[in-house]
Amino acid sequence: MNAANTRKIPKKKSQAYEIWRRFKKNKTAMAALIVLSLIILSTLCADFIWDYQKDACSINIKNRLQHPSWEHPLGTDELGRDMLCRLVYGARASLTVGILGTSFALLVGGTLGAIGGYYGGKLDNLIMRCTDVLLAIPGLLLCIAIMSAFKSNVFYISLSLGISYISKFTRIVRSSILSVRDQEYVEAARAIGASDFSIITKHVLMNCMAPIFVQYALAIGSRILSVSTLSYIGMGIQAPTPDWGNMLSGARAFIRGNTYLVMGPGVALLLTISSFNLIGDGLRDAMDPRLKK
Amino acid sequence: MANETKRDILLDVQHLKKYFNVAGGQLHAVDDVSFTLERGKTLGIVGESGCGKSTTGRAILRLIEPTSGSVYFEGQDISKLSKEEMRKLRKEIQIIFQDPFSSLNPRQTVSQTIEEPLKIHGMKNKAERQARVRELMETVGLAERLANAYPHELDGGRRQRIGIARALAMNPKFIVCDEPVSALDVSIQAQILNLMKDIQRKHGITYIFITHDLSVVNHFSDDIAVMYLGRMVEKAPAEALFEEPLHPYTKALLSAIPVPNIHSKKERILLKGEVTSPINPPKACRFASRCEYATDKCRCEEPELIEVKPDHFVACHLLKKE
Amino acid sequence: MSNDMNKTNDVMLDIKNLVVEFKTEDETVQAINGIDLKINKGKTHGLVGETGAGKTTTALSILNLVPFPAEKPTAGTIELDGVHLYKTNEKGECVPALTEKDYQSIRGEKVAMIFQDPMTALNPIFTVGDQIAESVRLHQNVDQAKAMERAREMLELVGIPAKRADDYPHQFSGGMKQRVVIAMALACNPSLLIADEPTTALDVTIQAQVLEMMRGLRDKFGTSVLMITHDLGIIAEMCDEVSVMYAGRIVEYGNLEDIFDNTRHPYTQGLFNSLPNIEDRKAELKPIRGLMPNPADLPKGCAFCPRCDYAMEICKTVRPERKWLSETHCVECHLYDDGKDVSKL
Repeated sequence: MNAANTRKIPKKKSQAYEIWRRFKKNKTAMAALIVLSLIILSTLCADFIWDYQKDACSINIKNRLQHPSWEHPLGTDELGRDMLCRLVYGARASLTVGILGTSFALLVGGTLGAIGGYYGGKLDNLIMRCTDVLLAIPGLLLCIAIMSAFKSNVFYISLSLGISYISKFTRIVRSSILSVRDQEYVEAARAIGASDFSIITKHVLMNCMAPIFVQYALAIGSRILSVSTLSYIGMGIQAPTPDWGNMLSGARAFIRGNTYLVMGPGVALLLTISSFNLIGDGLRDAMDPRLKK
Repeated sequence: MANETKRDILLDVQHLKKYFNVAGGQLHAVDDVSFTLERGKTLGIVGESGCGKSTTGRAILRLIEPTSGSVYFEGQDISKLSKEEMRKLRKEIQIIFQDPFSSLNPRQTVSQTIEEPLKIHGMKNKAERQARVRELMETVGLAERLANAYPHELDGGRRQRIGIARALAMNPKFIVCDEPVSALDVSIQAQILNLMKDIQRKHGITYIFITHDLSVVNHFSDDIAVMYLGRMVEKAPAEALFEEPLHPYTKALLSAIPVPNIHSKKERILLKGEVTSPINPPKACRFASRCEYATDKCRCEEPELIEVKPDHFVACHLLKKE
Repeated sequence: MSNDMNKTNDVMLDIKNLVVEFKTEDETVQAINGIDLKINKGKTHGLVGETGAGKTTTALSILNLVPFPAEKPTAGTIELDGVHLYKTNEKGECVPALTEKDYQSIRGEKVAMIFQDPMTALNPIFTVGDQIAESVRLHQNVDQAKAMERAREMLELVGIPAKRADDYPHQFSGGMKQRVVIAMALACNPSLLIADEPTTALDVTIQAQVLEMMRGLRDKFGTSVLMITHDLGIIAEMCDEVSVMYAGRIVEYGNLEDIFDNTRHPYTQGLFNSLPNIEDRKAELKPIRGLMPNPADLPKGCAFCPRCDYAMEICKTVRPERKWLSETHCVECHLYDDGKDVSKL
C-alpha cells in the first residue's frame, strides 16, 4: 500500500448498519420482524382490497355467522362482516394506539427519568414521588377514568394508555442512567467540557439504550393488550370501528358454536405481542458492541 | 500569555478542602491542601488508598466541587468561574484517568472519542478534525487502522493511549494524571510513562501525577507531595524526599516498597496501630495513632505544613525550621 | 524430562508438561503450553509474569478448578506430595486421577489458595470466626467449639485479637480481611499454599505487614508456597526460586541469584528494564516494545520473538527447547543454543 492511500482513515460501515448486521444473525428476532412486517403491510394494503365502510362496518345480516370459506377465509361475525377484513383493520387501530401510547410514555417518562437520574437531589426526589403516586393507581382503572372523561377516539385512548405507563419508563430510564452516570467516561466527557445535554444524550443515554429499547418493544405489546382489554369491556375503541378487543368481546356470546370467531383476533394478538417482545430482545443483543462477533 | 514572575507559577492551590457528607458525619477527603506548581514541571502526589489524592486532582479540575479553597490557574481563580466559563477553560486543563476500561465510552470508536473535544471546542471543519485526530493518534502511537475500533477490542495499553490522545486534543497546558499506569502491566506501564515524558518534553505540559506507586512517582516527578488521610504531610523535590524523608509516615512508606534487588539491605519500618477514621477526624496529627514518635502534643494539635529546609515542607511537630 | 535427579520425597508439587487449552466455537486459547514446575517441601516458589501469562490458570489446575470451557488440563501430569492429581492415559490425554470428592478434601486440607481480592473472598453474613471454623470442620472431625477455638488461635497467629472472631467482615479493613483470608487458608495446616497476588489489592505499608506475617507463618509451619505475582520486588523478598512465565511457557527458571543477578532470557531482562529504578531516578525506562501475543494465535516459534531485540531467524519458526545453564538455572531461548553463552545481554 502506498503512503497516499494510508492517509485516509478507512471508512467503516455506519453504526446502524452494524446493528442491523448483528440483528440479522438472530433467527427468532428476524422471524418476529417478518411477522410484524406482514401485519403492518397488510394494514397498509387493506384499502386496496376492501372498502372500509362497506366491508368492515356495514351490517349484512344475511351473511351472519358463516364458517370459514373461500369467500370469507376467517368466516363472518354475528353481523355478517368479513372477519379477515375486520382483523386487518383492527390491527390498524391496535398498532396505532400501541405505538402512539408507548411513544408518549417514553417521551414524558424518559425525559423525567433522565433528568431525575442525572441531576439527582431534590428534583429527582420530586419526580420519583410523583411517579410513585401514578404507580399506585391501577393502570387500567386510570385509563377507564380518563376514557370516561374524554371522547373515545384513538388520540385519547393513546394518551390514557400512555399516561398509565409513564412511571414505568421513568423508573427504567432513571435506573439505567444511575448505572452509567458515575462511570469514568461520563466524568471524562465533563472534563473535556461537554455540555450537560451532550453528556446525557451521547454518553449516558447511548449506553442505556438497550434496556430502554427492550422496554419500549415490550410496552408496545402490553399497550396493544391493554387497548384490547379496554375495547373488550366497551371502554376502548367503539363499534363499528373494528379492534381486536371489541371483536373478541362480540365473539364471546358465540364461542361455543363459532370458535373461529375468537381464533382470529386471539392469534393476531399473540403473534403481534410476541413479535414485539422477540424484536426487543434481538435489538438488545444487536446494540451491544461488546457482543460483536 | 501569563505574567512572567521569577518562578513561573502555573497552578496555585490554596487551602483546598473537600468534605463529603456521609453517614456518621463529614468525611474529610481533602483537608486544607495548599501548594504551587511551576510551568512545565511535574508534581507527584502519593499516598495510600483513601488519602484524598484523587479527590484533590478532581477538585482542582472542579470535576468535584471543592468545599472551600481557591485554585489559581495562570493567576485566575478558577474556583470562582461560572459553569460556562469553566467549560471553556477545560481545553487548557485536562485529566487522564486510571482505568482505561471505564474511562472510554464503549459506544464510541477511537476516532470519535478523540474527535469529541475538538467538536466541543469549535473545530467546525470535519476534514480539519480528522487530520488532527490522525496527528494525535500518531503522537500517542496508535496505528491508524484502529481509528474505527471500539475500546473493548483493544488492550489496556492502547486504551490508555486513547485517553492520553483525548486529553491532548486541545493542546492543554496542564494535565492531572490520576494513576495513569496502575492498571497496566509492567512492560506496558514503561511504554506509557515514556510516552507521557516525551509529550511533556515536546509540548511543555505541566503534570500532576497521582499514584500510589512510589517507584513510578520517583521516576516521573520533579516534586513529590505525600498525602495521609486528606492532609499533605510532606512535600519536597523528588531527590530530597527519597534521600532524606523527614516525616515518619514518609519514612515508613519508603521503607515498605519491595525492591526488585536481592542485595538491597534496607531496614523496614512496620507500622502498628489502627488508621484514624477520616470521618470527623479529631484535632490531632492524623498519623499519631500509627506513629512511634507520637507525643501528647501530636494527639491534641494538628501540625502545620512548614518549610523545614529550602523547598522541603513537612507537617510534623517533631520538626522545626532549621 | 531433564534434571530428574533429585526425585526423592522432598518434592511437594511436581507439574510436568502441563497444557491447558480453552476451546470455544471459533478459536482455541492456549492458556498454558507445557510447563514444568517443581516445588520442594518448605520452599517458596515465585511465579512471575504479566496479565494473561497463565499464572492463575496454573494455580487453578492444581486445585482442579480450571474454569469452563476447558475444565481440565489438556495434557500433562500433576503430582502433589507423591499423589497423582492428574495422570496421562494410554492415548496421551490428561485425566483426573481422583474423584471429585477426593479433590474436595485436598482443597483446603492439603492445598489452600489465597485470592487477590480479600473483599470478595469472605461471606458478608457470617462472622469471620464462623467462616474459619467452617473450613476447619470441613476437613477435620471436630465439633463446633473446638473449631471455634482453632479459629481464634488462627486469628491470633495472623495478628488479629481473638476477640474479633465475632466480628463481621465489613468491620475489618482491607489488610485485616486479607489476614483473615490467610488465617482461613492456614487453619487446616495445608502443606501447599497458593497465594495468587495476595497483596496486590493492599496499600504498600499494609502489604509490608502482610508479607512479613506470611513469611513468619511459612517458616513456623514449614509450608511450601506457590507465590503468584507480577511484582519482582515481592519475589525478591519472599521466594527461594522463581519461574518467569510468558504466554503460557516458563521462559526462565532459577534461584534468586540466577534470576536477579544472572538474568538470561530477554523477556526477564525486559521486565527488569521496564521497572523504574528507585535508586536512580534519572535512569531511562526501556520498555519491552509491542504487546503480548494473542493466546488464541501464538507465534509459531518463540512466543516472545516479535517483541525481542535479539530475535534471530530461527526464533520465528522453531520453539526453543529448555536449556540448563547450571544445576539450578534454565532458560528457553535460542540465544543459548549450542552451549553458546551470551554472558551478559
